[in-house]
This record gives sequence, structure tokens and C-alpha cells, in this order.
Amino acid sequence: MMKAATAIAALMLFVTVNAQGNPLSGSRIPEAPRAILENYCVDCHDENSPKADINLDVSSVKWSDRQNIKLWEKVLYNSEHGIMPPAKKDQPTREERKILAQWIDSELTKHIKIGGTSPRRLNQAEYLKTIRELVYMRDYQLPPGFPGDSETHGFDNIGEGLVMSPTHLASYLKVASEIADLLYPQPRKSVPSKIQKGEVKDFVLSFSASAIKDGKLRLASKARDIMRSCTWPQQHQAKVSGVYKITVDGSCFKPRDGDLPMILEVRARQVSASERSVISNFRFLKDLEFSSETRQSHSFETELYKGETLSFRWKNAEFDHNDLKATVKLMTEWFKRDKRWLAAWQQAVFPGGLKKRAQISTLRGLTGWIAINKALKDPKLDMSEATLDSAETKELLRILGTVGGGTHNLGDALCHYYFNHGPSLELHGYTIEGPSKLVDSDIDKQHQKIAKQIAGIEKGDLSNEEYARKMLERFLPRAFRRPVYKKTIEAYLAIATEHWQQGHTLNEGMHLLFRNILISPQLLYRSLRSGKLDDHDLGVRLSYFFTQGPPDGQLAGLANAGKLSNDKELKNQAMRLMPTRREHPLVRSFTGQWLDTRALKSIMPDPKFKFADREINIATAEVELFFLEMIKENRPIRDFIDPDFTYTAPYFADRIYKMEQLATWDERKKRSTRIQRFEIPRGSRYGGLLGQSAIMMTTANGVDTQPVLRGVWVLENILGMSPPEPPEDVPALTPDTRGTTTPREMLAAHTKKRSCSNCHRHIDPLGFVLENFDPVGRWREQWPGTGKEIDASGILPDGTKIRDVVDLKRWLIQNEKIFATNLAEKLMVYATGRDLNYVEEKEVQSIVKNNLAKGEGFRDLILDLIASETFQTK
Amino acid sequence: MKSSVYSTLDRRHFLRAVTACIALPALDVFADEKVKTVASHSNAAKEGPRNFVAIGAYLGWHQNAFYPKEIGFDYKLPPTLKPIESHRKDFTIFSGLDHRSGNGHNNWSNFLCGQMPGKYSFDQLVADHIGQSSRFASLQLTTGSGENRTGKGAMNFSKENIYLPMMRRPSVLYRQMFITKEDRIRTEYLLKSGKSALDHVVGEAKRLSGDLPASDRAKLEEYFHSLRSLEGRMARQLRTLDNPVKDPGYKLPENDPITPNLQMEASVIMYDLIAIALETGLTRVATLFLDGLGQVFTINGRPLSSGYHGLSHHGNDPAMIRDLILLETAHLECFASFLKVLKGKKGTKGKSLLDDTIILLGTGMGDASRHSNRDLPTLVAGGGFKHRGHHAVNKDSDKLLGDLYITIAQKLGMKVNSFSNSKRNMNEVLS
Repeated sequence: MMKAATAIAALMLFVTVNAQGNPLSGSRIPEAPRAILENYCVDCHDENSPKADINLDVSSVKWSDRQNIKLWEKVLYNSEHGIMPPAKKDQPTREERKILAQWIDSELTKHIKIGGTSPRRLNQAEYLKTIRELVYMRDYQLPPGFPGDSETHGFDNIGEGLVMSPTHLASYLKVASEIADLLYPQPRKSVPSKIQKGEVKDFVLSFSASAIKDGKLRLASKARDIMRSCTWPQQHQAKVSGVYKITVDGSCFKPRDGDLPMILEVRARQVSASERSVISNFRFLKDLEFSSETRQSHSFETELYKGETLSFRWKNAEFDHNDLKATVKLMTEWFKRDKRWLAAWQQAVFPGGLKKRAQISTLRGLTGWIAINKALKDPKLDMSEATLDSAETKELLRILGTVGGGTHNLGDALCHYYFNHGPSLELHGYTIEGPSKLVDSDIDKQHQKIAKQIAGIEKGDLSNEEYARKMLERFLPRAFRRPVYKKTIEAYLAIATEHWQQGHTLNEGMHLLFRNILISPQLLYRSLRSGKLDDHDLGVRLSYFFTQGPPDGQLAGLANAGKLSNDKELKNQAMRLMPTRREHPLVRSFTGQWLDTRALKSIMPDPKFKFADREINIATAEVELFFLEMIKENRPIRDFIDPDFTYTAPYFADRIYKMEQLATWDERKKRSTRIQRFEIPRGSRYGGLLGQSAIMMTTANGVDTQPVLRGVWVLENILGMSPPEPPEDVPALTPDTRGTTTPREMLAAHTKKRSCSNCHRHIDPLGFVLENFDPVGRWREQWPGTGKEIDASGILPDGTKIRDVVDLKRWLIQNEKIFATNLAEKLMVYATGRDLNYVEEKEVQSIVKNNLAKGEGFRDLILDLIASETFQTK
Repeated sequence: MKSSVYSTLDRRHFLRAVTACIALPALDVFADEKVKTVASHSNAAKEGPRNFVAIGAYLGWHQNAFYPKEIGFDYKLPPTLKPIESHRKDFTIFSGLDHRSGNGHNNWSNFLCGQMPGKYSFDQLVADHIGQSSRFASLQLTTGSGENRTGKGAMNFSKENIYLPMMRRPSVLYRQMFITKEDRIRTEYLLKSGKSALDHVVGEAKRLSGDLPASDRAKLEEYFHSLRSLEGRMARQLRTLDNPVKDPGYKLPENDPITPNLQMEASVIMYDLIAIALETGLTRVATLFLDGLGQVFTINGRPLSSGYHGLSHHGNDPAMIRDLILLETAHLECFASFLKVLKGKKGTKGKSLLDDTIILLGTGMGDASRHSNRDLPTLVAGGGFKHRGHHAVNKDSDKLLGDLYITIAQKLGMKVNSFSNSKRNMNEVLS
């Protein structure tokens, strides 16, 4: 059963191991194993010319040397799996192998201790969450460009790999300063009032939200997506929070009956806000009414907070990108009224009839409008289909009613009608004058509250020193995640008192204290105490494992009472912290890293796949919901591979997975993007990890598939093995988008060249078997362009022949221990922040064995891992 | 080991030295060892260029409009490069080179990282060699960025393979370069109070470290090293506070052009600021990341038919390619103004600043339409090289873009013989 795995693993043993240290200072190898080594090994691995730098011609082993541990682990592995001695040499008997194995195993078990996580710097996500909770700022964002973390053993929370660099420390200090500025601000200085005038050219143009016509800026849509409806000053932002006088000049362009008054909604937007914001993200300031076709001025006073500028939207426009129902209604009536209008749209969208439609995405905005307008002006415009019940009209209305069709492409094209023909709300310019006085923004007031919450008390009549001591007594244990000594508090206090003695203000002293605490190693690191975790550290490990954040009140309370190390209590707490939502960090962060779905956001698939943010979100949600359900329903581990349920949206089930059960659905239902649970037959080609869009996407590059990358991915993340690094001089294959050669033809060299085939005969079949999934995971049967049938078949290293992904899944179920062990080890590495050693792997393996034997589920597995010595040791 | 040296240093003595603005030997304790080796390098390279600038376009450069059809000097300028026509003696175009890295946007950072995206990038290698004695070891700037690039999507990676923040607000950069008196007082206060408090943190960390096994102590040594480095940085800042570079009175716009569709406006300012930073010696190494998202540009009064990313996936549609070229040409217009400014400024030894600066303009994406990262359009300008017009390499030959980087490093006086997957230079082409 393990044959496949071992055969592959044998290839991975390229690590050279140094010869052993001085044999004289080690412990003697007993007679029996020594004889076996002499008979079968030392011919090659002798002292003088040790093959692969491995010398087994020794009489004793110094076990305190980590290199020796590694060496003998390897010897054991290679002997157990029949990798050594090489096939052409004399082979030890089974009995002999057993003797050797027993000796090595007993020595390794004796000499390897459980534990050994390096001091573990909080990674970016953990640090952010920790800071947010510490200073009660749920929305606090790290400064732009805050340094990230490198991955080790596939995860970004491994002690050894979490490097502390000068850039990190400088950033921690910056955050500390930033937060201290908020909580203990300097007295405010007065700022001279200024007038800033903006003209039409000074407004932001984004997509088709606005256009400049006749020297005016025209608006058309009231969409909640600001990039489709709003404009704002290109170059203005409030430098301080204060009262400003705003003047806006506008007019109405070709209003019809009932269009008046046109309402211009003014909101305050953070200059740094994303273009993807929706209108409700911005603070409402004022509605301004315009009723005249000539220029009209409105003025009002309002508070603008630091970093804000204005945002403008025509609030009662008739068109709304986001309201697809209304769009269909609007256009239906319009088509009814004006047949020529309908014919022009048909001409633009179906230039060659229903069968030869234009690509909708290329009709976005101005391009679409130009096509429609050209048709409108064409005296020979074909009117034959311009009836409301024609197939073209129905299809056109359907497209207008889709996300993409109405919300982006044709919706943007329609905007240009309004820009040219009205009605439209026009802007001429704006003036912002101020500040006439300074104000505390809501945020400033919030910070004053937080400062009080942190100290647990208001300054009032307390002396500076008393106030600071109260703050430290309350804050330091929270910051360091354990009780602190009195002398620690006094040492910190001394920093502030010294500062005050030098004549600095209360806030300056508190500011300095804060800057210090927030860069303390006790805050920035965990795993700082050796051996078995005490109650506090156990709480910390449990909490960061589940939440990526510090222990909450309940965990801290139990730890303080010394109750957390109680097995039952620990299990209760683990159950309490188990994920219930897909946003839960254990779901999101663990799957994002284990399955690499984190990378999806940066893949930017080719537009031809029609995979934009919405699709990528669905794909990510599928994986997360699936993983969550595995925990919630305590499913057997094998269901990761071949479950009887899956999470997806009908839109995906139909277009991506081509699931048979949707065949009878009506078209409208099929287009739904709401994610739901589907019951599916076991043994399907869809469902399970190896079939989900997200995973197929992350193992491709957005344009074409690369069987080798997918093969390596399956090895690493499903089977739990690390193939060696590829040779340095081999380039990535360039996608052949013309499709003259199939991937199999391109990779033929792998099987021809011996140097390649050694590894690739194991890697490639695992990649080719997934070739039925295109770069976004859509099921396909032909290689693109070539028209050739996809050949997904291959031979697994144990000789099993597989035809397709269903066969691969079956094989994985038959060998479920491989996947289960891989998953358990990945979870343990993620939890403990260290690569597992021999003894720890043994513990995990026995947990998995027990889980499978008893028919337990995934949640049981997590609980057992938490109860293990490996989890509970630094 | 180093921490013991640190602990014996008298802090007051140190501060006095700083305020008196005398570079006492004590300061060397804080400097990285690298600096010392570097000093000898720069001595060796007295005649060579002193600065390095790299510019990378996230969505690549459309090859057909970037590569001339002809090879050598006698070529017709391709459309994208038209704006730099008057500088044609000052640059070389390279076609056919790449790092043999993976494909897709995900691997874009191969531009400066070489074969392994996310690893120690070339600009930082250069900065670690030649940048350590200037106020900013390096400047990482960006324009057109709607969101922050992080992880492998970033451009610059430290020796520890950690991505570095990029600055996108010219006003923030300017304030750091030329600090106002008011800011100076505040910064000085923060630096001095912060520095003195570091002593406390060091003490605490040492007590912690004392209880840990040797391997863990080694891990915490990273923390001490970072503290020392930070302290060194603060010392350098304090020094420059007392001896500020004169504000050249550059006229910044009232507000930063940071919306992505104002990328060209932002780029012009960033180029100007880079030129000033090099001229005043504030830095020797700068990079500019030209981000590309969905922003729609208006060029010559006409909004382009699609956003930047949409255009890059032109699928060989001639209208889209035309717009893409217009857009990339606009980038080159900004670049042309940079070359012109550098030519007009004085470098060392009577050279122009352009001859004193090697500029690498390139990308990590060879063909965005196909997400292919092979055959990366690359251009090297300035640096006192004998330029070669268009140098074409067969992309299937064993020549690597890293070879060119080694040539650049050597020209800068660095004793570097390998970079990423490359182990030789390209001095036979460019010297």
C-alpha cells in the first residue's frame, strides 16, 4: 500500500549528510545491527570513500549530534522501504532488516525529544489581530507595505522561518508610534483656512461613471459600486479634521418630466479608499437639489475628517448598474417605445445574428456605445428582429440582466447614451474652504475612550505615576499574554517617570511607554519558554491555532486559574473555538496555505475565462465551506477526496463542473451565483479537493495548465512528499495559446531524457490526470486549439493504471492513510510552528491510525492532535 | 557576540557624538559589516557609475512595439520607444533574455529576484553593497497602485527574503527627503526618546534569552541584530537632521496624484524625485514599480477602450494593441523626461548624472496576453556603458537575464560573480 509513496520518496533523498563526528565519544552499536551494516552497507558507505558522503563504517554513534539523528532516520527509512541496498546488491533478509530497524527506532526514540519550536515571531496576520485586540481597534489596518513573512514547510507561521529583520522591527516601531499618536495625541495646532477650487478637469473619471461633455462633467448612474457612479476631486484631501464650507456648481442636462429635482448626494470618502468600495462605505454629508438647466451653486458647511475628500453621486438617476431587475424593466419599456433603439442594440450585440454575437466584454462602455450609436445612424439598420418577443430581444434582455452584462459592460455603454442625450446631472466645479474650526472627529473621540479602557480608569486626580502604574498593571499581562512580575511593571514605569522628570508632558510619557511595550520581544514572539507548555502558553498555542489571535478572556481566566491544562477543560475550549464560519482563521488561513488558494487573488486569469473577482470569490468560498463542513459534521478524512456533498453555486455547477443534476434546471436557476450545498454521488469526477475550481486555478497560471506544476502540487499537498527542486536551467513552458501541440507532446522530453524521467515519471501522471480541468477548473474533454481528445491516463508509481481523476480518487481512498497522515502532519506543523521530528511523526501517525481504525472524523482528529504531547510541548 | 559589544557602549557618549555630528569610530559598531567591505568596493569603482535605478512594469511591455526589427545600432525605433529617440546613444535594448522563472502574474517578481520570485532581489543586493552609507540605503517607489502589493506580488525583497514596502505618495517621500523644521523637532524628539528606550527593550530581551537553549538564543539574535540596525538607522537619521540636505524647492502638486488613472502624472514626479535624491546623494539605489490594474487612461483627450489589464490581454486584437501601445508609450514619455533630467545634472568626475547612473527598465512578464514570463523586454540606459543599440539573444540559448545583472553589478564596482541562476557576466556585450 505504501509502495507508491515510498517509491516516489526514494527519489527525494538527495540530501547529502555529513559524516559522523568522533565515534569514540558516542554509544556503541550492538553486535547484531553492526554485523548487518558490515555485511550490506559498508561496501559503499565506508570511511575512506563514503558514497553520498554517508559513512556507516562506525562502531558507535554520538546521538547528541543532530546530524547523526538525521542520518540514521534516513538509514531506517531507506531500509524499511527497500530503497537500500540497491536492487543489484545483496539484500538483507526480512529478519535482518527488522533487527536493524528495531535498534535504530529504539535509539531514535530514546534520543529524540518531543518539542523544539523556535521562538515564534507573530506573523503579519497574527500581529494585526493581536494589536487590534490589545488596543480595542477592530478596524486597525497595518501601514501600507508592512513587511510580510516567508513560508517554511508550506506555512507562514513556522518559528524557524519567521525571520525578524530590521524592516520588521522598524515597522513594528512605526505601528507602535502610530497607535501611541492616536491614544496619546499631541496638542492640536491651528491650521490656516484655505480655499481650494476645482474645475471640471479636476474630477476623477473612472470607467463610465462620468464623462466630460460640453465642458461639463456628466453623471448617469446611481449604482452602489462607486467606480460606476461616483466622481470625486482628483486632488483634494482634508489635512485636518475640521469644519469646511463646500460649494458645488451643477445643472440639469435635458431633464424630462419627473426628473426634477435632480439630487446630488455628497458623501465623505477616505482618499485612500479602494475603487471597489460601495457607496455605503462613505459617510453621508448632504443631498443637494438641482432643478435648473443653467449653472446653479449650492453651499453648505460640514465636518470633514483628516484624510477625507468629497464624493458625488446622482442619487435619483433612473439607471442603476446594480439593480438588474430595474435595468431589464427600463430597457424593456424603452425597446417597446422605440423600435429603432432596440434594433440598434441588437445590431451592436448580435452583429451577425444570434449565432454570431459580439464578445460582451469588448462592448464595455464607450466601445459599446459607439457600436450602438453607429447602428442608430445607419439608414439601412435591420429592423426585422426588432420586436419584443423575438429571440434576439429575449437574449439581449437576458444579457442585460446578468452580472457583467448589465452591471459592467452594456450598463457602462448605456451610460454614454445619458452623457450624450440626457437626462444627466452635470457638475461644473467645486470649492472647499476651511477649516473654519478644528473638530474632534468621531474617531478622535473613540480613541479617548480606548485610552480609558486600556488603563481601566480615567486620569482624573491621579498623579502621572499612579495613572501609568494602573495602565501597566492592566495592559502588560494582556500584551505579554501572561501575568507579569511586579518588578517588570516597575521597570517600565521607570521609563515614563524618567521622561516626566525631564519635563515632558503626561501624554509624551505615555506615548513613550506604549512605543516600548509594543516592540517588546514578549509581545512580538511566542514559544519563549522551553519544555512542556504551562497553562498560559498552552492557551496561547490553542488560541493562535484557532483564531490567529491572543487568548480571549475565558482562556486567560482558565490559564490563570491553572485549569487549562486539564484534558477535559482543554477539549471543551477546543470545541468552543472550533470554526463555525468560513471566515474563521483556521479555515481561511490553513486552507489558504495548505491548498495555496491564497494565491488566487494574484493570478488574474485571462479575460476569456470570464473569471473576475466574483468567480474567484466563489471558488475560494467553495473550498472554505467544504473544509468547514468537514469539521462541523465530523466527517471521515476520506471525504476530503470523495465526498457525497459539495459546496458550489449553480452557475459554477453548470458551467464549470458540468454537473449532470443541473440538466433539468431552468436557465434562470442555473445562473444563480448563490453558493449552496449539493448532494452528489460518490465516485464523481467533481466534488472533493481534487476537482475544485480554486485548486485547479492555483495549480495553473491563468492562461494555460501546466501538468508538471499540478503533479508536484499533488505530491506535496495531497500525498505529503517534497519532490526535489527542478534543475536551474530549465525554463517554464511558454503557453501555446494557438494550441498546435498538446501538453503531452510538449512534455514528451520528460519521458525520453533519463535525467528528467527519473522524477517526472512520478510527477507527470499526477498532473496529466488533472488535464480535464482547464486553468480555472472547468471540465473539458479536448485540449484547447488542437481539437485533440485529452488523454489523462497514466501509471502511478506502484504500477496502478489510472484513466482519469475518478480512478485517482479511488486509489487515494484505498490508500487513505497517506492522505490522512499528510493532513494531520500539515495541521500539526501549522499548530506547533515547527517541522516534526521522528518521534513526533510517530505520535501523529499513531493518532491517524487510531482515527482511521475507529472510523472517527476530522474534528476528532483535530482534538486528538491538540491532546498530543507534540502539540503541548514548545 | 555582537550584543556584548553593544552593551559596553556608553549611550551618552554615543548621543554626544551624534549631536556633535562627528563620525566617531563608535558609530561603526552599529554599521553592518557589509558596509566595510563595500567601502573598498566603491574605492575600486571610482571611475564607474555610482547609482542604480530599476523600473518595472507590472503588465510588461508589448514585445512587438518594444523590440526593433533590426539588430545593432542601425535600427528604426519601435513605437513604444519613440519618446526616447533623442537618447538613442545612451541605451541598449535587450530581447530574448529572461530568468527561466515560472509563468503568470504570481511570478512577476522574477524581474529583480531572478529565477526564484520572492528571493533577495537584485536592487537590494546592490543596495547592500553600495547603498549603506547614504541616508536611504534604497528607495522603493510605486505609481498606479490601487492596492498594496504584498507577498510575491511585490518587487523588492531583502536579504531575508522579506518584501519591502513601496512608497506611493510623493509628498511623503519628499517630507522624508527634506524635512521641515517643525517635523525635524518632532522627529528628533521621537528618535532620541525612542533610542534611549531601546536600551530597556534590549535588557528585557536579554533576560528572556538567558533562559533559552542555544538554538533559540541564535533565533533571538535576529531580534538583537534588528535592534542594532534600527539604532544605526536612527543614528544616521539624527545625523542628517543636524546636517540636512538643502531643500531644492521642488514644486509638488497640492495633492498627491495617487488615483491609478493619474499614474503618468505620478511617475513624472517620482522620476524627478529620484533624480534629486541621486543628485543630492540621499540615495544611490532607487526602484520604481509601474503597477497595472483596471485603470482606464485618457490619452490625447480620448479615454482608452479598456482598462490597463484588459488591454494587456489584447488577444491580438489590433485596436486593443493600438491602445496598449499608446499607454506604454506614455510610460516611455515619462521615462524620457527622466533621462533628460539626469543628462542635465552633474554626477561625479565631471560626468553627467546619467553617465553616473545605470538604469534598468524592464518587467517580470514577457507577454501579459499569454501570462508568459519568458523573453522579458529589457532596456539598459546610462551608466557610462558603450551602448549597443539592439542586442538580440536567441531565447533558447543559455544566456540569462541574470548575466546582464552581473554585468551591471560589476560595472557598479561590486565583486559579484553570480546572481540567482546565473553564474557569468555579459561584459562582452556591454562594458
